[in-house]
Parts: sequence; structure tokens; C-alpha cells
Amino acid sequence: MAAPVLVAGVRGGRFARSLIWTGSAILAVAVLAAVFAPLLSSWGATEIDPAGTLAAPGAGHLLGTDTNGMDVWSRVLHAARIDLGIAVVAVALAVVAGTLLGLLAGYLGGWIDDVLMRIVDIFQAFPTFILALAVAALLGDGFLNLALTIALVNAPAYARLVRAEVRTLRELPYVEAARTAGASTFGILWRHLLPNSLTPVRVLAPLNCGWAMLTLAGLSFLGLGITVPTAEWGSMISLGTSDVVAGRWWTSVPPGLALLVCVLGFSLLGEGLQERADAKRR
Amino acid sequence: MRILRFVARRLLQLIPVLLGVVVLTFLLVRVLPGDPIRSILGPNATEADAAAARARYGLDQSLWQQFLDYLRGLLTGDFGTSIQSGTPVGDELAVRLGPTFELVIIAVVIAVLLAIWLGIRSARRADRLGDHTVRVFSLIGNSIPEFWLGLVLVLVGYAALGWFPAPSGRVDPDTGLTPLTGADLLDAALTGNGPALASAAAHLVLPVLTLVIGILAPLVRSVRASALEVLHSEAYQAAAAHGLPERTLLRGYLTRAALVRLPSLAALVFGTAIGSTVLVEYVFSWQGFGQWALRGLLYRDYPVVQASVLIIALCYVLVFLIADVVHAMLDPRVRI
Repeated sequence: MAAPVLVAGVRGGRFARSLIWTGSAILAVAVLAAVFAPLLSSWGATEIDPAGTLAAPGAGHLLGTDTNGMDVWSRVLHAARIDLGIAVVAVALAVVAGTLLGLLAGYLGGWIDDVLMRIVDIFQAFPTFILALAVAALLGDGFLNLALTIALVNAPAYARLVRAEVRTLRELPYVEAARTAGASTFGILWRHLLPNSLTPVRVLAPLNCGWAMLTLAGLSFLGLGITVPTAEWGSMISLGTSDVVAGRWWTSVPPGLALLVCVLGFSLLGEGLQERADAKRR
Repeated sequence: MRILRFVARRLLQLIPVLLGVVVLTFLLVRVLPGDPIRSILGPNATEADAAAARARYGLDQSLWQQFLDYLRGLLTGDFGTSIQSGTPVGDELAVRLGPTFELVIIAVVIAVLLAIWLGIRSARRADRLGDHTVRVFSLIGNSIPEFWLGLVLVLVGYAALGWFPAPSGRVDPDTGLTPLTGADLLDAALTGNGPALASAAAHLVLPVLTLVIGILAPLVRSVRASALEVLHSEAYQAAAAHGLPERTLLRGYLTRAALVRLPSLAALVFGTAIGSTVLVEYVFSWQGFGQWALRGLLYRDYPVVQASVLIIALCYVLVFLIADVVHAMLDPRVRI
């Protein structure tokens, strides 16, 4: 029983690498599909085929058409731009804002810390999707507003993570040495604490991107996010709801599958990074 | 005794948090763009009609006065009147909570039991095919959009196979079920209505399955991790070397260790499930709390939004409190 523990480290390394590679490969394909969407489809994302609505998959339309007579394949590809775009922008915003707040709260302590952490507490007293719903209702739809909504809901997690990290780091001898050597607060934060407190952030960010995509699609599914005719996976699934009950699979299943695969890509990447971080700690 | 004191202290600590939620929701819902009065009056209403309606719901008074009225109502258990339907919010809540709790509780219980079984199985076969399969499936489960999963289950279970009823409600109206709690399975059992019981159970299968798949992954992962820890511990290896029977090892060592971490995780998952019900109820036309809250938010129905946010926050913190107490009871090392 003792041997497997030793081996697990080695195997964990290889396993982590294969997770990271698979995740990255999936995401690379998704990004390529998003970039070259117009070349990969003969119909526009919002182009209506006058010949027919709800056409079954076949020669004219690879994945058929939806209730509006728009080509499902083309829309699935084009939607990657919006879904990936908003998710990545939102998580980037959340990381920057959350990290900054966490750094300040963790290093300065005192009442600033108290106030910031109480706000974080209130944010975390709700299931995240419920919070996203409320904020989306407040800010309205559109690319930037949705990115802001998702960023706002996610930022507290980073603030908490970075704060915890900073609180342990700031007591370490090297920080004290820097302080004694006359480094400014800003210098200590920027040069010493920030780089070292980012390790857990690096693991959380990819996982969060996947979660952001699910949130965005969920909001759109309920009519609070991106709306038809713009191509977006959640609203496409929503549009196809009645088709599903009637047994027509091609309007809702493909966009959901695309979403699932992208989120899985982020999950694999995050999981691999987590595994690697754990292995290093051991 | 110590547990009782702990519960009392935690309940007291809840008061400021819930008060914060009440104040924040009250203000934020009024900042939302959109007007609840305009949404009930229709396009032809005059300014005078709107003013009259505003007065009827007390929305013409100062913000401060409105808040005091609302708070006074809350203390007597009065959540106000829905602007959309004109019925007391408390009555609507009573009808809406049962179905959602039924859905969420059944799903969380099934998910927890399944997670214990799968997690321990997976840990005992660590790094072998069975383990990898479980891990891959839990990664996929973690990445799946629940509302889409619900639709796929409808496509397969209803449209293709015809095994389950259409996603339009919780029970066949022809069975003449008398609603008592709103949880149809319970109501059917209480009134001894056999056909309704069968119908309610059939309607539950797909939405419960959707929720279970959605929340299973983090639970399996946690059980697997704690079971692995035990498997590598000296205590377990000594016990196994002494030839303790399989059943004792499984129940006394592995399951017990997994149980310790489970309450807090189950609480977290319960919260996720409450969030997911908004989507899942929408897919299955469940007419529960989630759909009601969403409608309230979309129509800016102030009393409904305030009540639903408060209920969600209350559920969330209470579930975490219960989890902490259960944890303390399961694990003697925990001092509360």
C-alpha cells in the first residue's frame, strides 16, 4: 500500500500533463472554430433560408435550420465568439478586480479588511447563479454588461483567495526584509506579494471560465442574456425547447454539446493545473 | 448542551446578516430599471391610473416609510401583496415552496448516497479503469449545462422512448390530487391517492435526474479524496493487515471518514441546487419557487423579489448551520 503513494507522484505528473494538453487542445479547436466560423459555414449566422424553417440536417444545411430558418451549424460556430469572448473577458475582469481588493485587504488589514470581507460575505450568502440573475436584471444585456455581471459575481472568490494568501505571505522573512530595506508598500505589494499570491488564482481562473460560460448560457436561456438573432448557445437552446418536446433534436442538442465541450476543455485545464500544483506542494 | 448553545449563538449571528440582506434587496430591487406598475397596467393606462395603482401598493410613499412598513410586516410574518397577481406573497410562497423542496431534497439525498458509493468504489480501485471512468464522468458532469441536460433527457425519455410524461407540470390533473403541502408525492401519499402517487413519481424522474447529475461531481470527488486518505493511513493498513472483515473496513473506516466531510459539502450542493432549480423548473414547467422568483424578478414585482431573496438566503444559512451541527455530531474532534 505504501508503494502506490510514491508512484502516484510520478503518475500524477503525467496525468496532470495529459489533462492540461487535452484541455488546451479542445480550447484551441474552439478558438479556431470561432475565428474561422465564416469560412467553415456556407450560411451567415443570422442569414435566413427562405426555402424552409426547421429543415432536417442534410445536404443544404449540415445541422438543419431552426424555427427562424437560420442555419444551425453556422450559428453554433459563430456563437463560440460571443460565449468564449464574454467568459474570458469576464474572468479577466474578475481576476484583476478580485486580486487588487484581496491584496489591499490582506496587506493593510484593519477596517478596510473588515469592510471588504463583510461585502464578500454578503455576496457569498447566495447561490452564484441567483446572484448572477439579479445582477443581470440590474445591469441589462449586451456584451459588456453581461461580462460585468459575471465578473462581479466571480470577483469575491478571488478577493478571498488572494487575501488569505497575502496574510500568510506578509509575515514571511523576505517580506520583512524588503520592508526593513526601505521598500515602499506599493513596491512590496507589486514586486513581492502579487507574484507569489497568484498560484491559486491560476488554478481557479480556467475553472471559472467554464463556469462563466455556463452562467452566460443559463442567463440567455432564461432570456436575460444574449437574445436572438445574435448567435449564442444558451439562447439557441432556449429557442429549440419546443422542438425537443416535438422530437426534433437538431436545434437544441448541437449548441449544448458545443457548450459542454468548451466547458470541459476549461475543466480539464483547471484540473490539470490543480493536480500539478498539488504535486509540487508534496 | 454545548450544541444547543452553539445553535443559539449562530441563530443570533444570523440576524444582522439577514437584516443586511433585507435592506440590500429592498434598495436594489428599486434601483432595477423598469416599473412594476407599468407592467401590470398595459400600454393604454393614463398617468392618473398609474398614480392610483402606485398608491394602492403604497409605492407613492417615501422610501423610508415603505421600508418601515415592509419591516413591520415581516415581523408579523406578512410578506406583502404581489403586484402582479394581487394575492398575498405568503400564500403564493406556501404553494410554491413545496414542489421545489421536494425536487431539491430528493435530488440531494440521491446524489449524496450515490456519491458515497461511487467515491469509495473509485478510491479502492484508484488509478484503474473503474476509477478513471468515474473521474472522467464527474468532470463531464461538472461541465454539463443543466438546462440542456434536462432537454436532452426530455428528448430521450419522452419524445423518443415515451417512458416519461411530457415536461409540463408535476402531476396529471386527471388524478384529482388534493394539494396539501404542494409536494405532490407527499400529498398523494397523505391522501392515499394511488394514481396521483404514480403520476407524481413519473413526473419527478427526469428533473430529479437532471439535478442529480448536475450536483454529483463535487460530492464524488470529496468522498474519493477522503477515502483515499483513509486507505493510505496507517490505522487502516494495520486494520486490514489484522484481517478485519471487509464489512467492518468498509463501514467503520471508509464510509465513516467520507461522512465527516459530507455535511458541509451537501450544504454547498444544496445551495447550488436551489440556484439550478430556476433553470430546471423552467425546462420542466415545474411551477415551483424558482419559476415564481424568476417571474417576480422579470416583472419587477418588488414584494415577490424581496420575499424570494430572503427565503433563499434563509435556506442557505440554515442549511449551513444544520451541516455544521451534523458535522460536530459525526466527528468528535470538532469542538463547537
